[in-house]
Amino acid sequence: MIKLQNVSKSYFLGSEEVKAVDDISLTIKEKEFIGILGSSGSGKSTLMHIIGLLEQPTSGKVMMDEKDVSKLDDSQLSKIRNKTVGFVFQSFNLINRFTVFENILLPTKYAKENLDFDPATRADELLQRFGIYDRRNFFPNKISGGQQQRVAIARALIMRPKIILADEPTGNLDSKTGDEIIDILKGLNKEFGVTVILVTHEHDIAVKTKRQIYIRDGRIVNKYL
Amino acid sequence: MKIQNGWLHLIKSAIEDFRRNKVRTLLTSLGIMIGVLSVVLLIALGLGLKNYLAQQFESLGANLIIIFPGNIAGEDDGGISNFGAGFAGGASFDEKDLISLSKINEAEYVVPLFMKSLVIETESGRKLGYVMGSNADSFKLLNLDLLEGEIFSDGDVSTRAKKVVLGEGLADGLFDKPEDAVGKTIRISEQRYKVIGVYKKKGDQQQDNAAVLPYKTTFGTLNPDETFFTLYLGTTDENEVDLIKEKANDILLRRYNKDDFTVTEQTEILSTVNQIFNIVNGILLAIGSISLIVGGIGIMNIMYATVTERTKEVGIRRAVGATENDILKQFLTESLLLSLFGGILGLFLASLIVLGIRVFFPASINLLAVIISFVVSSAIGVFFGVFPARRAAKLPPIEAIRYE
Repeated sequence: MIKLQNVSKSYFLGSEEVKAVDDISLTIKEKEFIGILGSSGSGKSTLMHIIGLLEQPTSGKVMMDEKDVSKLDDSQLSKIRNKTVGFVFQSFNLINRFTVFENILLPTKYAKENLDFDPATRADELLQRFGIYDRRNFFPNKISGGQQQRVAIARALIMRPKIILADEPTGNLDSKTGDEIIDILKGLNKEFGVTVILVTHEHDIAVKTKRQIYIRDGRIVNKYL
Repeated sequence: MKIQNGWLHLIKSAIEDFRRNKVRTLLTSLGIMIGVLSVVLLIALGLGLKNYLAQQFESLGANLIIIFPGNIAGEDDGGISNFGAGFAGGASFDEKDLISLSKINEAEYVVPLFMKSLVIETESGRKLGYVMGSNADSFKLLNLDLLEGEIFSDGDVSTRAKKVVLGEGLADGLFDKPEDAVGKTIRISEQRYKVIGVYKKKGDQQQDNAAVLPYKTTFGTLNPDETFFTLYLGTTDENEVDLIKEKANDILLRRYNKDDFTVTEQTEILSTVNQIFNIVNGILLAIGSISLIVGGIGIMNIMYATVTERTKEVGIRRAVGATENDILKQFLTESLLLSLFGGILGLFLASLIVLGIRVFFPASINLLAVIISFVVSSAIGVFFGVFPARRAAKLPPIEAIRYE
């Protein structure tokens, strides 16, 4: 469902060109649970942003459901991010002036079509499933990191996306809480067939996915060294 | 299900933010508040002034021809440039003019007016009043109703009777009760006059505090030049007005130059006054507009700060599916509400002030002022909000989300 063809992304640091992603070709099938592993600065996050349509590649083609996304405009890209993709970040990225409940509902505010579910009911279901229903009306800065990450996952799931993109979701958590988060992601893939793309620099976490890809200096390498 | 992305969410989100930054919100909308306050007040005062003048002229009764020295609103230049000069120079009318004007058969009454501000004394007290010299018809001209006693007659004018009719305001100041004045004696410039009547208050400061004497009585001590300030001609027949004006003009031209006097009717004066007010209003409106623009810049400034402060939030919203347009709308809603809040505050404050000054001045807030304050403050909110909102909308999502 996601196909990258010779994708490169380069930045300019002053006058020096830095290739964050260098000629990567990759296919991710539906219902996969895939780990993208690389050290910091390897370009794995940039790769994830390109897959998540938050960034456009400098060259190469990104195909999503056989559609070339480079030809889409802002409103079409936003629609895919809204409906098809759900993001989970290392630093949770919740909006602190909204409650947990309001944060989870945020994506539904940007739905451009009628929803076939009731957002509030679904948000409550997700809160219950992740065991944080009693934190429903709390503000994010009043709950623990593990709870915040669960809220972020609930937010990513509210629109019933086909893909979850998790960028170092355990990076700010202790190992026990981190394991719980990975278990949640695993469960989503197993139970609901959600494609989960997990970006991490920790080998221990990456091995929990079904397939691993190693990135170094913006390129896919055969083995994580 | 309904589409969730309603204005309601945007408005709720904006109000949420205002609540968190109460002081900043208040200070930002202060500029717009002052601007709207001044514009609304100017409209209210301007309107009040117009009403006030119209009332004043109405109290004179219809079909009144007014003759005064100098050339106001001269037909030659069609302007109001001589307005100030008119009162300074020109003819000084005297009894001869009164007699010749009395020969106009169409005019039902001819009234001269001499006026001077003097101290009026009784045994018990003294008060500053307006001494007016006129004839018996003046009471008809000014629509004055007697409270007590009687007015002087034409006979009293020719015999220079030392009689005076007081305004209720003046009589009230000099005696315990206004009615008590009748039969008493007052002193003006060491001359004694007998009060024969008191007329009712009408709300006009000058009229209410006047002492009206037969004009011949004023000749000498009070009016040594034996001249009049203004001459009035009155008719009940509207169709006669132009003819009377023409005749009066012809009569006065035998003695004076064209530029030394003006024959006009009250409607013409009203339109001249209106012209002056339109200019004054224009200037005041410009001042109000400047404060609105400054207020708008204040909003723009704070919105830029808000965009910077919420860069990360913009990134998050973009990641979960907000389009550039959605972000633009979010910040525009905020600046619009901020400005509208200031506008409503200004309107409210202006209403309070107008309510306060209504006691002594007929100022009023009309629908126009309300509409203007809403339209103007919304327009300012949108206009000055567009630039910061555009900056927010154009933020690259990834850079925004990484912003700390």
